[in-house]
Amino acid sequence: MSKLKFSHYFEVFFWLVLVAVFFGYSFEFNQNIEIYRYGATLWPRVILLLIALAAIGQFLDQRKNGDKASSNTMAAAHEEPDANPEHTGFKWYFSTFVLLAIPFIYMVVPEKIAAMRGIEEAALGQFKLISAAILFVLYLIIAWRNHVGGILALPILFASLLEDMGFYALAPVFIVGVMILMGERRSTRIALITPLIYGVLLAFFVSLLYVGLPTGNISPFYDFGNWLVTLLQ
Amino acid sequence: METFNNFLGGTAALFGDPIGVLIFFGGVVGGMLFGAIPGVSMLTLAAILLPFTAHLSAEHGIMLFSVIYCTGVYGGAITAILFNIPGAPENAPTAFDGYPMTQAGKAGKAVGAAVMCSAIGGTVSCVIMMFATAPIASWAISAFGPPEIFALVFFGLAVAASVGAKTFWKGWLSIMAGLMIAVVGLDPVGGIERYNFDMPYLAAGIHFIPTILGFFAVSEIFVQAEKKATGAYKAPKLSVDFPTFKELWLHKIAVVRSIIIGFFCGILPGIGATLAAFMGYNEAARWSKDRINFGKGKIEGVISSETANNSATGAAMIPLLALGLPGGALTAMMVGVFQMHDMEPGPLVFINSPDLVWVVFAAMFFANLSILLVGFLEAKTIVNLLRIPFQFLAPMILLLATVGSYAVRGLVIDVVVMFVAGVAGFFLRRSGYSVAGIVLGLILGKIGEQTFAQAMQMLHFEFSGFLNRPIAFGLLIAGAVTIAGSVYGAFFKKPPAPADSESA
Amino acid sequence: MNIKKTLLGAAIAVTAATFTAGTAMAACATDALPGEMEKPDGFPARALSMIVPYGPAGGSGQVAQAMAEAVSELTGVSINRDHKPGGSGTVGMTAYMATPADGYTVLEHIDDASSAHALDSSRPNPAEALIPLVTSQITFSQIYIRTKEDRYTDWPSFVEWVKAQGGKATIANVSKEGSMERVTMKFITDATGMEIQQISFDKGAPRYGALAGGQVDALFEQPGDVRKFLDSGMFKPILTILKERPDAFSDVPSLTDAGLDFDPLFRFRGFYVKAGTPDDRVKWLQWAFQKAYCGEGYQAYNESKFMNLIDSFRDTDGSKELITNTIAQYRDVYKSMGLEVK
Repeated sequence: MSKLKFSHYFEVFFWLVLVAVFFGYSFEFNQNIEIYRYGATLWPRVILLLIALAAIGQFLDQRKNGDKASSNTMAAAHEEPDANPEHTGFKWYFSTFVLLAIPFIYMVVPEKIAAMRGIEEAALGQFKLISAAILFVLYLIIAWRNHVGGILALPILFASLLEDMGFYALAPVFIVGVMILMGERRSTRIALITPLIYGVLLAFFVSLLYVGLPTGNISPFYDFGNWLVTLLQ
Repeated sequence: METFNNFLGGTAALFGDPIGVLIFFGGVVGGMLFGAIPGVSMLTLAAILLPFTAHLSAEHGIMLFSVIYCTGVYGGAITAILFNIPGAPENAPTAFDGYPMTQAGKAGKAVGAAVMCSAIGGTVSCVIMMFATAPIASWAISAFGPPEIFALVFFGLAVAASVGAKTFWKGWLSIMAGLMIAVVGLDPVGGIERYNFDMPYLAAGIHFIPTILGFFAVSEIFVQAEKKATGAYKAPKLSVDFPTFKELWLHKIAVVRSIIIGFFCGILPGIGATLAAFMGYNEAARWSKDRINFGKGKIEGVISSETANNSATGAAMIPLLALGLPGGALTAMMVGVFQMHDMEPGPLVFINSPDLVWVVFAAMFFANLSILLVGFLEAKTIVNLLRIPFQFLAPMILLLATVGSYAVRGLVIDVVVMFVAGVAGFFLRRSGYSVAGIVLGLILGKIGEQTFAQAMQMLHFEFSGFLNRPIAFGLLIAGAVTIAGSVYGAFFKKPPAPADSESA
Repeated sequence: MNIKKTLLGAAIAVTAATFTAGTAMAACATDALPGEMEKPDGFPARALSMIVPYGPAGGSGQVAQAMAEAVSELTGVSINRDHKPGGSGTVGMTAYMATPADGYTVLEHIDDASSAHALDSSRPNPAEALIPLVTSQITFSQIYIRTKEDRYTDWPSFVEWVKAQGGKATIANVSKEGSMERVTMKFITDATGMEIQQISFDKGAPRYGALAGGQVDALFEQPGDVRKFLDSGMFKPILTILKERPDAFSDVPSLTDAGLDFDPLFRFRGFYVKAGTPDDRVKWLQWAFQKAYCGEGYQAYNESKFMNLIDSFRDTDGSKELITNTIAQYRDVYKSMGLEVK
């Protein structure tokens, strides 16, 4: 008797596609190593083979037993109950996927375009700032209707901008963003708590412990970050 | 007797020096604080302090790090219990039962158990360490080469695969996914870049600290945020009623078992406390009559994992001081402290600077004892963090985690990795896979591949070479038996009574 | 043997310069520089930062610390070290190339940057994309065995023993393909005709532990990194990979003594600023780093790492020459080894 659900097909499909992609990519670095006959590829390929076997094994097991926990493991340790139905539909997954893709677009695309168009290093910074602004607006439009997707994507977006714009300028915006997405709407609270969190963090890590956080590489963020660090240390 | 006199000498030197005392208490408080603040860990503190130790004497610098190590491993348990955010990988199994206890309003009991058991495990292993370090040094350096370490990693993975995930298959897939993540970066033999996907920073590989922060700290915030957004969020109940001594006495066997497991795992270079905690937890579950309730808030789970990981701290000092082999990230930074003072940890330290060794031993002993005193006070204060409204706590934790992941290697990619792991963890929690298994696979994967390659080079690419190395061979057999056992269980044993498992 | 021939031209300059300078160590190289220099237009107005593409504990992290302290002491300008380890130094380099060329961020790097460029020319060339401020450590390698070893005791008996093992003897080495360590081992095995299995350890402690515990038969390393083991008598060198014996190792055979005819490769560490930095700022930085090299603190540090045995100093032009020669040398070797050079 088959106890398979759509999610089981998706699971086995996901693992097998992953294995195929990684196996294909392994030819990119398939070089000889003079002192090691197994080279750089044997280890990952064996793991990929085992993943494929385990994914198929799991699929066959699910066909027979459904989702039952097996007897020799701790029963469903720290498993969350079923997710909220609002956040499982195809539409939700799609818009979340788009939101999550935005930071990666920023990390890869502007530099590729700049290299193709032959944009000078001096102008690259400006070009990146404009790209960031466009992508941020796109993020706002989608996150407006998908708060949970918005909160998942915001930290990655923050991280992807860190190297260029620095921690010091981005952190306050990030704090406000997280609070709003978490449902805080009282603007006085936001106005009071944001500088408090920011101030405590900087006082502790920058003034007291001299931790070097990213200052950013693009002016005026670069200048602002360095100005603040000099002020605090 | 000689050991005892040395210990007294070390104690006198430690407390007879006002700066030393100051650093000692600074380390105790700092380790606990950084361990217990969600988002940062003792490793963050260690990474931040490492450059400063150049200005301390070698004795003070190493003493500071060993104290942070002892108290930080305990401090990480607090966030694991209260927020489902283990401060370090070795605290991951503590969260399995500790966090459900918090959700059930029994946070005080869990934290209390962690305090007691950390202190007991740490102190006992400290005493064994004082007697055993020197003799073990000479034995282990020749007995444990790459083939043995590889065999041990294999055994550790085999054991860990059956912990935490919903089924046998999901356990293995989780571990394998972790091993695959470990492949990203340079290969251990030729330095060839693998899976960089045209992002030059990926050549640095994926570090386990941002991954842990992401899987546990960040994804927990996402889960709570989703509940907030849908109105399902409930603030956790506060409680500060600690367990009585009688309650703990019921679990004396679990404590003793975990001390032994923790100590033996801790000795092993490169794996140490993480494997100790996982195995301590796993064995406690295996021997319990009430196995089905592990992972749902059994105090025994907290006890076994916290005893084992603190018991590993003393043991981890043995390969470090005796052989110069660090057992984990923090002990690796201790090697850095030694080298900044132009010393190499290893057998020579015992010969050249016995005073230093005994001051460190004494400091670790008292640090473990001080967990009892300071730990209870601290636990009572930290529990109050739960009173802060979540929408204010969340940005704070996310930014602390940003600092925590960035400070280790100074790479922005680590922050990206952490948040991506957070999103992955958010979806994985719905699926029955084990994020702890992925993390363990990631940590052991790098060591595993490297030692496998070294072993193969040493054995001239003949697998039969393992036959001539009894320790390695024994461990490989033990690992194979463990796997065979769980395969047998997965295929031929009936699932447990359906009362508890959901309907198919 | 054709490898050696292709090398000769390029390498001779490096070696010769090293030894002529190496004989006059008493006076320090930059004693002639002025003790103070006016800050050009107030530069630097704030702390400098130094990107170090290795962890704080290893040899590169330590030299960065020693130099940063020496410069701060000389100029009163503090230097924040920013460690970005990973990818054999490539990641720190990538991060450095993304910073603005305003002189406030400097870079520490080692010869790996040169060999990386030699293997793949899309990696930055340290002599062109960067301006070397000073090269402050140049050192040679040695081969070590355990002092208690009884199967062999010196270089000739080691070679004989290795040959008798039929390829089963082992030596601990570092990982990266095409690195100084690998290429040098290739020279040695080709020149002696012995076959030895290299085992890669990318971290120091396990590498030394492997020799101490008898897991491997020998170790390839630079003397500064194993000084503790030498001083304690646990390890002893059996071959110095230099043409002539340095005074501190006068009883250890050199390449010439061992009858090995190739030009040695060096490990070197130096400090750089990005090309395109304003000239007056570069001048000030050059003065600060070169003058700091002769400071007492830095010299004491170099001595503790055996960096005083051969001349460890190069100024900007000397460094450029060293790097350019090194790149040419490696590129020839790679081609003759059949490695793909991009």
